[in-house]
Amino acid sequence: MGKLTLRYFIEGIGRIDLQLRLLTGEGGLDREIKSGEINRPGLALAGFFDYFAYERIQIFGKGEAAFMTQLSYENKIKVYDEFFSYPVFCCIFTYDFKPDNLFLEYAEKRNIPVFISKRGTTRFITLFVHVIDEIFAESVTLHATLVDVFGVGVLLTGKSGIGKSETALELIERGHRLVGDDMVIVKKIDESLLMGAGSEILKHHIEIRGIGIINVREIFGIRSVRNRKRIEMVILLEEWDSSTEYDRLGLDEKKYTILDIDVPYITVPVRPGRNIPIIIETAALNQRLKKVGINSARELDERIKKWIITEGGK
Amino acid sequence: MIEKDVVVNSDAGIHARPAMMIVREAMKYPCEITLIKDNIEADGKSIMSVLGLAIISGSKLTIRASGEGETELVSYILNLIENDFKI
Repeated sequence: MGKLTLRYFIEGIGRIDLQLRLLTGEGGLDREIKSGEINRPGLALAGFFDYFAYERIQIFGKGEAAFMTQLSYENKIKVYDEFFSYPVFCCIFTYDFKPDNLFLEYAEKRNIPVFISKRGTTRFITLFVHVIDEIFAESVTLHATLVDVFGVGVLLTGKSGIGKSETALELIERGHRLVGDDMVIVKKIDESLLMGAGSEILKHHIEIRGIGIINVREIFGIRSVRNRKRIEMVILLEEWDSSTEYDRLGLDEKKYTILDIDVPYITVPVRPGRNIPIIIETAALNQRLKKVGINSARELDERIKKWIITEGGK
Repeated sequence: MIEKDVVVNSDAGIHARPAMMIVREAMKYPCEITLIKDNIEADGKSIMSVLGLAIISGSKLTIRASGEGETELVSYILNLIENDFKI
């Protein structure tokens, strides 16, 4: 994502239309939006300028509009003089309220864009924050395959040629859904939420050595794909190496870090005769069990410990 | 590790066949190979990954390799791109 400027909002790109119209201040449209934080300038208009967050996007709702309307001409000059002495980022008026000409003149002189929107304030802010958050979400592109297995977003990683796509294909055959193959764009939507999506251009295509590129949606139908999925576990496929010690208990939980978020992580060794898709299905179900508070390995361990104590005491 | 920058000039960009030419060669080498465009990294041994970069004429690419055969592989791919895949 390149620089995000205010121009983006009047060009009306994106999924949500904020219904913004520009009243004045075109010269300021190329300013970069660095954060999606907003400010309600009520206190500033009333003359209290301490902590005035002028660098944020100023949202004027019904309250601010009513306050401005009742100001006398002299008071307006006083307030606007001080308000516009700060390098205000931009002003947005909701409920289609058109500010007075004096306000617009001040804004125009200083190249501060003033927008107006038909939407109500709360609705506008909700949508705006949503749009901005998605744009600003940290993101990374991973060479991996993302499949929804029993509702668990499983990210398959491993060297090329290890069989990620073939594994995905068999999972799809078994009724699971493909999100993206070989290229997954991961966005950090929230401090604990990683959302994965396939690349727009590759959308639901998969390459299988020997067949070539296939369109999963066309072959297996709409139920075999989905557009995005929360990433809930990472499975690394690797060649069976007899010198490596694989997890035999599952008591210790390993984490894989993507964009500073820890995701449960397991390594599955691949060798002829091992049915990888079934192992992945089981891993996904086990992950779901853990989420509802049941840890098979730990519970068995505790049962054994208890048995040792009681039996040992006999 | 070796890293080289190159601009793709072939009119059609890197579509399926050119991508295959890169991947096919890359598979012959044990080293890891990454193509980078606009900070997006693609595995040079995966067709889908390379296609996903959506490389068009004029795209700036960085080719990074590390491991056995890195120098030969990078120079092969550079040569391929510079000659518009007409090898």
